Amino acid sequence: MAALFTTERHVKYYLRCLKTFLPSAYTSNDSNRMLLAYFSLSGLDVLGVLQAKTTPEERQSYINWLYHCQVPSGGFRGFPGTDFGEERRTVDNAVWDPANVPATFFALVNLLILGDDLSRVKRRECLQWLPQLQRADGSFGEVLGPNARIEGDRDLRYCMCAAGIRLTMAEWPNPLSVNLTVGIPIGSLDFLRRAGTDTQAVPMLSPGSEKFEILLSWLASRQTGELGEEEEEDEEDDEDDETGTSVLDTQPTEDVTRSLEEKIIALPGLTALSTESIPCAGFNGRCNKFADTCYSFWNGATLMMLDRYSVIDDVRNRRYLLEKVQHLVGGFGKSVGDPRVRQKTPYDTFSGEFPLLTKPLPDLLHSYFGMVSLAFQGEEGLARVDPALVTTERVVQHLESLSWRS
Amino acid sequence: MVGKYADDPVWASVTPIPLDDGEGADALPMASIAYPTEYLEATSYLRAVMAANEMSDRALDLTKDVISMNAAHYTVWIYRARILFALDKNIEEEVAWLNQVALKYLKNYQIWHHRQVLMSSRQHFPSLPPKELDFLMEMFAQDSKNYHVWTYRHWLVRHFKLWDHPREIEDVNVLLKADVRNNSAWSHRYTLRFGPRADNEHDAGMVNAGDMSTTPAEKGVLAVVDEDMIDAELEFAQNAIVRAPENRSPWWYARGVLVASGRSLGEWEEFAGKFVVSEDIVKSSHAVEWLADVYASDERKGKAVEMLGLLEKYDPIRKNYWDYRVKMLDVSV
Repeated sequence: MAALFTTERHVKYYLRCLKTFLPSAYTSNDSNRMLLAYFSLSGLDVLGVLQAKTTPEERQSYINWLYHCQVPSGGFRGFPGTDFGEERRTVDNAVWDPANVPATFFALVNLLILGDDLSRVKRRECLQWLPQLQRADGSFGEVLGPNARIEGDRDLRYCMCAAGIRLTMAEWPNPLSVNLTVGIPIGSLDFLRRAGTDTQAVPMLSPGSEKFEILLSWLASRQTGELGEEEEEDEEDDEDDETGTSVLDTQPTEDVTRSLEEKIIALPGLTALSTESIPCAGFNGRCNKFADTCYSFWNGATLMMLDRYSVIDDVRNRRYLLEKVQHLVGGFGKSVGDPRVRQKTPYDTFSGEFPLLTKPLPDLLHSYFGMVSLAFQGEEGLARVDPALVTTERVVQHLESLSWRS
Repeated sequence: MVGKYADDPVWASVTPIPLDDGEGADALPMASIAYPTEYLEATSYLRAVMAANEMSDRALDLTKDVISMNAAHYTVWIYRARILFALDKNIEEEVAWLNQVALKYLKNYQIWHHRQVLMSSRQHFPSLPPKELDFLMEMFAQDSKNYHVWTYRHWLVRHFKLWDHPREIEDVNVLLKADVRNNSAWSHRYTLRFGPRADNEHDAGMVNAGDMSTTPAEKGVLAVVDEDMIDAELEFAQNAIVRAPENRSPWWYARGVLVASGRSLGEWEEFAGKFVVSEDIVKSSHAVEWLADVYASDERKGKAVEMLGLLEKYDPIRKNYWDYRVKMLDVSV
């Protein structure tokens, strides 16, 4: 029986996340509360129930909380936990309560989802702060540390968030000096293009160019039928031969007596595969990794922006999401194969800490990204989602309608 | 307030600053978490010492406590690094402690950024610390594809100029022997052999990639080519392919090697052909794709279409993609 998208359960899941305390296990995600707020709000919006399930008073109070997270010097913090009070804030200690690049982007998006006009956003301060986060190689950091040092990894997602802030703010005191050849994510390019920055010089964006087609090939090969299910890893199970996926590869110890030629001749032929043999296929983020729910989104969104979503297998992706990682209580889990079950090694001092789970537990990130992946594919009951801003098109229209932007 | 800190004379002089979740701002907190009381107390004291910009031993201990409950807290790590250097603490001890934290929280950005901050101190680490690579192998024993550890190792190679350090290629070989599908190990091999080495070249993964003025065709192409090394790497990839022909990693690695050396995919036409015996005997779908690319590149469109048709049979998940490729060839079938 074909699995269904259990709309009501997903609504309940997001409402629980928005309106009741997240469990203590989320403490290690405290600094990501702005992001968690985004998943909860946007999740309900994609399900089309945000207005019905929250009152105008609640929405206004959420808006007040978001502004409560605004840093006096511009930008937003990721959570209220760093705030020691405006009355105590000095030039010396302000560095311990900094604005955060991804949090600022998500705060702005959250405000837009709630229908705010961004009038209380310290725009000038925000736009003066943001360029200070960019490094010489084009990458963005996460926060400014002591001595205005750029802190945080060279994480492409920060770059995308920075471009998203720039799009939302609609103006820029100086042209955004982004070195476009240093691995800038497609999302940023899309933001910059919409914001009127000339990206024609970027070969990656021209369909038919070698780089564009290589990128497409890479994205298409992210789809995988290898889900990390237990039987796949059982080498003695003959099922491998039936599925015929690459798990059937053997890894014999190196045989030095035979020539390469002889070894190839001795190799078995592949079994031609039918539709039934691989019913589900999700996506991975790197070659030879098992499918992971959030990559249905990352790859899908990129393909949407490149206008090439049709190169993937949407039917198998849907079946993967609905049959393998959708949870009974609503929401989606990360993957079938529990990544937390690790090989026992002499170094593993934490064995036994992570129980083997047969069905992945849902979490907000994978729930949202799994659902947005389905929204890209036109799942019934889900709103259309903009692949760059990753909000409903209603929110994009709201942003574009704001009078101060024109 | 009662608790670990409230009852400790060491902290008697400090007035904790409780969490302000916007109650006074007529706000409804979003994504509120059922915080454990220990966390609420520790972070109240953290806000207080941060507000005082305190550089002290007790603050250092406090950061450790907060990290044990929330290792992803983005300012606590920066604050900790600041105190360590301000008080001239023993950084090797810090690294030893950090090893334990990293083993406990395998997926965490801040831990590895902190390690990089420490290791960047030329004063403390003028050269590679002897046990550093052993520890990274310990991490790989937990998860041989750990993104954070590989990113850090990549940085380490550039920072201490380890491209030709014997341990680097040795470790890659050990990991590939254990799992020939470990694409992270293949990527690292590429970094060691073909990655940019110049100080003034941005690290964009391949040579000629960090400069706007280079054309896409020049990306990843080495200025000086050691043909013996290229041949050895291609042979290495071929041996890995016969071990597991459906493993995409060595096929892609070989593409990178050929690009770096300015040689063409066509060089492997014969090798790939050995895996495509007939329509019914195909030993690697990646070999079929390789042939399709070779045929497409030199206008043998009919044969390219034939290969793409075979791929629909042996790699049906990508059927739509193979159809797209056929369309792109612009031939009437």
